[in-house]
Amino acid sequence: MPDEDAAAPPPPIDPRLLEVLVCPLTKTTLIYDRAAGELISRAAGLAYPIRDGIPIMLADEARRLETP
Amino acid sequence: MQRMSDSMHVFDRAAVRRHRDRAAATIGGVADILNDAASRLLDRLDDTTRRFTAALDVGGRGIVAPLLRARGIPTLACDLSPLMAAGAGAPCAVADEEALPFAPASFDLIVASLSLHWVNDLPGALIQLRHALRPDGLLLASLPALGTLAELRRALTATEAALRGGAAPRVSPFPDLRDCAGLLQRAGFALPVADAEEIAVLYADPLRLLRDLRHAGEANAVVLRDRRPPPRDLFPAAVAALPEQDGRVRATLRLAILTGWAPGPDQPQSLRPGSAKHSLAEALRAPPPEQG
Repeated sequence: MPDEDAAAPPPPIDPRLLEVLVCPLTKTTLIYDRAAGELISRAAGLAYPIRDGIPIMLADEARRLETP
Repeated sequence: MQRMSDSMHVFDRAAVRRHRDRAAATIGGVADILNDAASRLLDRLDDTTRRFTAALDVGGRGIVAPLLRARGIPTLACDLSPLMAAGAGAPCAVADEEALPFAPASFDLIVASLSLHWVNDLPGALIQLRHALRPDGLLLASLPALGTLAELRRALTATEAALRGGAAPRVSPFPDLRDCAGLLQRAGFALPVADAEEIAVLYADPLRLLRDLRHAGEANAVVLRDRRPPPRDLFPAAVAALPEQDGRVRATLRLAILTGWAPGPDQPQSLRPGSAKHSLAEALRAPPPEQG
């Protein structure tokens, strides 16, 4: 039997919320990385975390993306 | 030495967030006051025949979103605190009112019940809220206005001055009602209106007033607040100095209720200059009517 914690995908974000969210810094559209549980802003180079289905749209809590 | 605050940095946003995180567990204790304030704000929806289909609740602390949904309005929410967001009563994002994460024209109604008074750049936040509204969308906001907690502010300042020979800001600065409509206008809202409503709360035990403020997440977050522990006698002596009414002390919440519409094509417009059909100069030259 699979470990409940390790294998569980992160809780999904409410689609109605997903529809209206943009990057708070650049106001550009976000890419939803369902597996990682992150909302990615290419323009700002930031990945906003989603915790317990709640997107944390704060720049100082976001993960900086490595520059390609 | 403590950094001097500039005019744009009055409030410590990290402290605001901490206070709201902590208050998420105790907010039920002040639900009556928050409910009263939210109901008075949402009563304004009865003044319009518009039907709203997409609302945003900003910082409604689990009170506002359920009230909006009870009115049949699909609602999303945002809060600076993740713990408050979890109890918002609607799909919620953690967001800073000073950098909102919403696409333009996402909502036709935005409600901010007692949630914009710890924002440093209030004009900037209002502009962002307007952008998130569709044309002809409505902003309903309430702020504690000048006069709120005036009794407490006076008592604390006088008591601290007597105990310490000086006083630090312990009650947040609040905007004057007169400035509120101007703020809306500056932020580009049409038909801006600001009016006041007073909620008086009487406390048999005045220390409960301070507890309630903490429970609501309204502890002091002014950047220039005194971070030293307050003199031990300060709060008991100050609450003893509060004016009494039938053996109870009175705390005033003076709500400034702000309504403004995102500009839309069907709203009343002022006439184009030069489009008048009658000359004002002629009207003024006309002889005064005969006195009879």
